[in-house]
Amino acid sequence: MTGDYRRFALTRGGQAIVVVLLTYVFTFLIISVLPGDAITNTLRDPQHGLSEEDIQRIVAFYGLDQPVIVQLLLSLGRFLTGELGFSLQSNLPVSQLVGDALPSTLTLATTALVIAIIFAVAIAYGAQYLPGKWAAVVRSIPSFFLSVPNFVIGLVLIEFFAFRLHSFTTTDPNSPVATLFAAITLAIPVSAPLAEVLIASLDHESRQEYALVARSRGLTEARLFAKHLVKPSALPSVAMVALIVGELLGGSVITETIFGRDGIGTVVQKAVTGEDQPVLQAVVSLSAVVFVAVNLVADLASPLLDPRVKLRETTLKEKVGA
Amino acid sequence: MTAILSNTQLRDLGSAPRKHTAGLPPATVLLSFAVVLVVILWSLVPGLFTSLSPVTGDTASKLAAPSAAHWFGTDYLGRDQYARVVYGTASSVTSALVAVLIGLVIGSIIGLASGFRGGWVDAVLGRFVDVLLAIPGFLLAVVIVSSLGFQTINAAIATGVSAVAVFARLMRAEVMRVRSATYVEASYLEGGNRLHALLGHVLPNAYRSVLVLAVLQFGTSILIIASLAFLGYGDPPPASDWGLLVASGKTYVTAPWLVYAPALVIVVTVLSVNRISRWLRNAK
Repeated sequence: MTGDYRRFALTRGGQAIVVVLLTYVFTFLIISVLPGDAITNTLRDPQHGLSEEDIQRIVAFYGLDQPVIVQLLLSLGRFLTGELGFSLQSNLPVSQLVGDALPSTLTLATTALVIAIIFAVAIAYGAQYLPGKWAAVVRSIPSFFLSVPNFVIGLVLIEFFAFRLHSFTTTDPNSPVATLFAAITLAIPVSAPLAEVLIASLDHESRQEYALVARSRGLTEARLFAKHLVKPSALPSVAMVALIVGELLGGSVITETIFGRDGIGTVVQKAVTGEDQPVLQAVVSLSAVVFVAVNLVADLASPLLDPRVKLRETTLKEKVGA
Repeated sequence: MTAILSNTQLRDLGSAPRKHTAGLPPATVLLSFAVVLVVILWSLVPGLFTSLSPVTGDTASKLAAPSAAHWFGTDYLGRDQYARVVYGTASSVTSALVAVLIGLVIGSIIGLASGFRGGWVDAVLGRFVDVLLAIPGFLLAVVIVSSLGFQTINAAIATGVSAVAVFARLMRAEVMRVRSATYVEASYLEGGNRLHALLGHVLPNAYRSVLVLAVLQFGTSILIIASLAFLGYGDPPPASDWGLLVASGKTYVTAPWLVYAPALVIVVTVLSVNRISRWLRNAK
């Protein structure tokens, strides 16, 4: 059993590393297919105030006078040793830019994740236990959440809570209240798929025999929900965590722009407008690393969370072996 | 037990007889179809819906509140916001269609190839799909559009590429499901080849779930393209893509309708598209 699990873990880990490397190459290809000589344009842009020496240094560092494949190998080699290069716009190390922006985005994303889980659990609970008509209304919330663009949610929240109710000011985007509203903006689209999975899973679990037995033994619905239904229903949600991390990262570009926060999303936006390729390359590759790592952890945790997963896999293997 | 039996029997009857018993779709679905129809007409014949111009305005009546003359009010140049929304539909909606088509065609080809060929083709294409999934969808779209240049058509291409993975996965799963079915094996025995199995069995079986996904993806694409336009990665003004309208409207705090009107149009459109997709899925 443990040998099986170790082999499973090693295969998944190997696959994860391959995907990260391929993602790096893929991103590099997309970015260097840029029409025109954008990288030199950026370097020569007088706004950035780079001296001729700086430019020569950057050209030599990235091998810009050499074929694309050499540039790729150079860049990939550095990435593997944790070296992310320099921003073309500010001449600062990319790791410093990302490092400075990371705490703000982490705060935002973590708060948003907590809010999204609260929303999703509340929606799923309501869909399960509210009387018929209300349950139907609650069940339609996720699809409504999925239809509202992130930027509209943000603008509406700012309009009402900042401009009318003065709960926070947009001039101080890092205050706790402003962060809370930015997190709600980010959380709403994220909570929708989570709620849908929870609802479906709760529907399924509450029909199982063990739920019936628990009810017959006099457990109240609330205790049944807390003690028996949450854990098995959480499994499919754990599998979604990787997807959610992607949503949080992508959504932060818009949310941070609207609320005027300085985070990874803002770094991306500035890099896009300034055609700052090393920064884009680094942020995309790092988000792929995060995504793949979270996915890997979710994959490795699933058999531990629910023994039925392991059981199913071994029986499948037995079938194939036979 | 009887429930299971009758379900199988229903499935065996096929879709034709069931359509008669199903009757009219629910009211919300009909309403959704009406909304989508209006949106399509807006993009095809915008002139029928407003006599006002989306690019020239009457500066005397700038930033006017919604009224009978200007349903959605006017912007800072006195341009009718309703006319701008109507004329912006074509690029907002067409680009979403382009995005879905790109995702559908490329994704289906990848999915069919990996499902049918298996082996190393499946392994290589599978890793490619993994790569597409590993980059957060919106971030991928942003990077591609920045690489191609800030135009709505490029935003559509970027959105399409970020949708390739989901279509590829679905198509591959459909092929795997049908490939080993007894009737496909039987068709091989009768001398049918892969192409025959593809045209005769896989595509007809997969068409329903692919359609559901395509409709759902259409709604998602409208949202992503609006977000890209909002960030200024689409056509520049005087184009009036819905996302761009919201972005330029947000500067005028005293004229909130400039934001709310196009925002509401986006929400209602996507909500309708999603409702239709859900109806198609459940009608299975």
